[in-house]
Amino acid sequence: MDDRNRPLDTICPGFSETIIITNVNYLIWVVLSMVTELVLTAAFPLQSGLVPRGTRAFVFERIFEVFLLLGTLVGVVVVGYMLYNAYKYRSGSGKGHVDEGNRLVLGELPSGSGGGRKLFTSFFMSMVIVVSLVSWTYLTLLYVEEGPADDESLDVEVEGYQFGWRFTYPNGHTTDGVLRVPADRPVQLTITTADVFHNFGVTELRVKSDAIPGQETETWFTADEPGTYTAQCYELCGAGHSYMSAEVIVMPPDEYEAWYANATAENATADNATANESSADASVAAQSNLRPAVVP
Amino acid sequence: MTDASPERDAAVDGGHEVAHGDDHGHDFPGTGSIKRWFVTTNHKDVGVLYVVTSLFFLVLGGVLAWLMRVQLLAPRALGEGILSPVAYNQAVSAHGLLMVFWFLSPFAFGFANYVVPLQLGAKDLAFPRLNALSYWLYLFSGILFGVSFFQGGTFSGGWTMYAPLSVPTFTPDVGASTAVLALVLFVASVTVSSVNFLTTMHRMRAEGLTLRNLPLFSWTILLTAWMMLFAFAALLAALLVLSSDRLLGTTYFAMESPAGALLWTHLFWFFGHPEVYIVFFPALGVMAEVFQTFTGRRIVGRKWFILAMVLVAIQSFAVWMHHMFLTSINLQVKTLFMITTIGISLPFDLMVFALIYTMLKGKIRFTTPFLFVFGALLLFIIGGITGVFLGAVVLDYEFRGTYWVVAHFHYVMVGGVTALVGGLYYWFPKMTGRMYDEFLGKLHFAVYFVGFNLLYFPLFVAWETPRRVFDYAPELAPWHQLATVGGFVLGLSFLIMFYNLFKSAFAGDPAPDNPWEYATTAEWAVSSPPPLENFDGTPTYRNGRLEFLDIGEVTPSEGRASGPTGAAVSDGGVTASATATVSSALSTAEATEVEGPSHASIWPFVLSAGAFLVLLGLSPLQDAAFPEGMVGAAYATTTVAGGVVTLGSLVAMGLEPFHGPVFEEGEAWPFAGIDNGKVGMWIFLASDVVLFGGFIGAYVFTRVAFGWTGWEPIPPDPIPGLVNTYILLTSSFTVVLALVAAEKRHKWGVVTSLGATFVLGIGFLVNKGLEWQHLFHEGLWLSTNVRASTFFLTTGLHAAHVIAGLVVALYLTARAWRGAYLEDSRSVEYFGLYWHFVDIVWLFLFPLFYIL
Repeated sequence: MDDRNRPLDTICPGFSETIIITNVNYLIWVVLSMVTELVLTAAFPLQSGLVPRGTRAFVFERIFEVFLLLGTLVGVVVVGYMLYNAYKYRSGSGKGHVDEGNRLVLGELPSGSGGGRKLFTSFFMSMVIVVSLVSWTYLTLLYVEEGPADDESLDVEVEGYQFGWRFTYPNGHTTDGVLRVPADRPVQLTITTADVFHNFGVTELRVKSDAIPGQETETWFTADEPGTYTAQCYELCGAGHSYMSAEVIVMPPDEYEAWYANATAENATADNATANESSADASVAAQSNLRPAVVP
Repeated sequence: MTDASPERDAAVDGGHEVAHGDDHGHDFPGTGSIKRWFVTTNHKDVGVLYVVTSLFFLVLGGVLAWLMRVQLLAPRALGEGILSPVAYNQAVSAHGLLMVFWFLSPFAFGFANYVVPLQLGAKDLAFPRLNALSYWLYLFSGILFGVSFFQGGTFSGGWTMYAPLSVPTFTPDVGASTAVLALVLFVASVTVSSVNFLTTMHRMRAEGLTLRNLPLFSWTILLTAWMMLFAFAALLAALLVLSSDRLLGTTYFAMESPAGALLWTHLFWFFGHPEVYIVFFPALGVMAEVFQTFTGRRIVGRKWFILAMVLVAIQSFAVWMHHMFLTSINLQVKTLFMITTIGISLPFDLMVFALIYTMLKGKIRFTTPFLFVFGALLLFIIGGITGVFLGAVVLDYEFRGTYWVVAHFHYVMVGGVTALVGGLYYWFPKMTGRMYDEFLGKLHFAVYFVGFNLLYFPLFVAWETPRRVFDYAPELAPWHQLATVGGFVLGLSFLIMFYNLFKSAFAGDPAPDNPWEYATTAEWAVSSPPPLENFDGTPTYRNGRLEFLDIGEVTPSEGRASGPTGAAVSDGGVTASATATVSSALSTAEATEVEGPSHASIWPFVLSAGAFLVLLGLSPLQDAAFPEGMVGAAYATTTVAGGVVTLGSLVAMGLEPFHGPVFEEGEAWPFAGIDNGKVGMWIFLASDVVLFGGFIGAYVFTRVAFGWTGWEPIPPDPIPGLVNTYILLTSSFTVVLALVAAEKRHKWGVVTSLGATFVLGIGFLVNKGLEWQHLFHEGLWLSTNVRASTFFLTTGLHAAHVIAGLVVALYLTARAWRGAYLEDSRSVEYFGLYWHFVDIVWLFLFPLFYIL
């Protein structure tokens, strides 16, 4: 706010602008203090509980909400400020002027220009917002990366192929196209692929990981609502990419146990049979080039 | 401060054709002649060609986008919609590749070509023929990409080309190989262009125009060219390996390769992230210029703005793994790349605030250029805020592969396009000498801006849609329908622009030198359009502002070997008589091995056509073999014909009388006192270092994934390699001898030493050939295993460098035989630099592939 030090006549057209800047800065400071508070308490997560913990979906929604809220706020403030000033200083409004004594003329070398302090105040504030927000999410990243304890989780191996998903349970039972898991129990997925690069994701459960040839990636999720969800491929993988999905059936724990007790490495379930059939069609279709690739 | 007097207008109008047409004794046909556009090497002509061509690719990429948006009107079950699944994948891939490579950067570099030399105070770029070559390579690479649609279908693996979907096992169409080869040709164009721009911008600034004082648009182009030089070299490494996998059967990216898929992601994103700034920086430069002009104010915090851009340009090479947060990289690496990613976003905050504060207290004129640039800043703010979401790794995990990413990068990249469209309106009067229609321009902006937001904003709402999928959750359909409507509004808004600009180019009001009050950069100080050699006199900034020195004021520089400098500078631009120019140039012509002055050359065009034929001919190769029968024979013939044309036009170009722009050395930091050619060679070699770096990196990465110690070198016997090491070292020595002989004007010394170099190089190749023959007999082939692939391909790339060097050596020897290089030994020196570099590369390859 260099203009405060300048004679009134030069800032007269911009008098109310000074107030606006102050207002903008005030608004940003409000946001900032909220965030700072958030981060300070987040630094002591045990006491505050401000680092969201729970299912992947819960963690995601909490962070997403905060980002949406702050993002919208910052966006509205900055864009509003920009539009307001663009309107205010439009040519013909009489508010703005070209400083004939100080402006660059055609062909003049651009020597230094002012405004550094104002610039750095805004820059500093935006930096605090961004850094504190991302640091806060880093704490949840640590939580997510830690994953569930080994003894309580269900381990399932996921293998992508053109164009479907195979799931192998700890007892060796394999299904194709359907993943059954119990509610309220963490599920640990180990993901790879039989052919090209895929990405396994269940958007409603907020779980996702790359399926990379020759590599294994790990991720986890906990579903608290029984029901049927859809897993999809999130990396372009060929003709059947659009239809490369699987059902994720979240069962009440006792029903799941009953199903799992009957599932062995050998017996092919009904799930398996239908899915295999469709995937066979898929590979045939994929051979012939421009024909539809997958029968869902 | 405008020169918009009626008298001036009339003069400009009347002088239009003359100024841009036949002048000056060059064999330049007028702009109305078709021939002019094939032989031109003038930076302004090339700029116009770039802009027009890139707009053509915009239309092509846009039509593909329309096809996708129509397909996305509703979730499509199998067989529904206008595109088959494979056709949809092709549309997705080609749209991305065309827009990112063939539209965005060339559009920006059209302006760069036109404006940067004017802003520098240079008559042209340092190497005008190479500039024309860049353009023709670009055009032919685009045509090659177009051809790929008709060879069974173009590439369908997405613009990110993830492996192993990109290898023929999964995408066997010939067109897919052609698309990859088209990219290789495009990268060649970009590399030539980067070398040219960097040499020009570092070496050819007018007196007093230090880097600090460079206009912001030129600053963005300078940084963009540096990023392009290195990033595209990394892409070239990736593409050459991919081409080899597709055509020769190497197995880097094969499904069975120990870490092929991951290797691709590293190579691609090492290029891919700098590429984001490569396409966005020029837009930023346009914003800065247009903001200053139409607010009548200096940009706030200019030096911080520049510093922020420099930081981004450097750091852009250290953020690539944020595209890979869901791969198997560990938490430490993720943390590191999260930090660098946040770090690189912050300088942009500063730049945005600087632009906003520039408006305050100004007198803002909402002309069409300002509207577009202002709109671009709004869009960029939204793109930036939504980008912070992706910087939070936990959120990125869920956004990966969804429309959040699609919406975000379209806001950023098409936001950049918005600014560049503003740039098109801004410089249109300069480029054509005519004003566009302001009402239609504003109408275009209104429709464009509505269409843009209608298209991309709903994609944020529908973010749970997976990318590149057309069967999505039915409840998202309304948002996708809205986006499709927006897509058509956005696309059709360009019809207004095309109509406006096309009509105005012929019938618009004549444009004065500076149609924009308060424009400050040098391009507005010359006529619209500028004369062929830009300035009436030598531009200088010695007194803090642009002045033109008359003939008498320039001290002719003493005859350095580079000759033409002094004499031709003193030709006072368009005002000087043609005869004076011809004679002055003639008198100095021999020094650069020319017979007469001409800035016209057909060879860049012919050379590019030859390269096009070679790559088209190679496209159907699989496992290093052409297909059987007539088709294969036709392709093989095309390759040979293309090779002959390429080689012939190279020789013709070497022998052609041609000299680059001449200039009085002004500001040349940090290359003062070093010849342009030498600077160009060094810069080229810097990109070549990255190319080999990519290959060696790929080898090390693959070997680590395989198990370092379990990997045995392919040649069981290191002796042939050792012998070759000695041969190459000796040949470096003979090149030095050739240079010494040339400086001593000892003709036969030059011939003998160059001849010896040639013979040693042949010896190297023969020895290598015998070694490879032996390995082939033992059953080792490029496709045998990944060890063999890395060995043959990396040392093969080196051998290709040796062969290229030998072609030059043969040419130099023949010329030396006829007495060349005694007066001017620079060609021998530059060749020496290249040759030493090739030797040094071998000193790394030998232990890596024979010993360790």
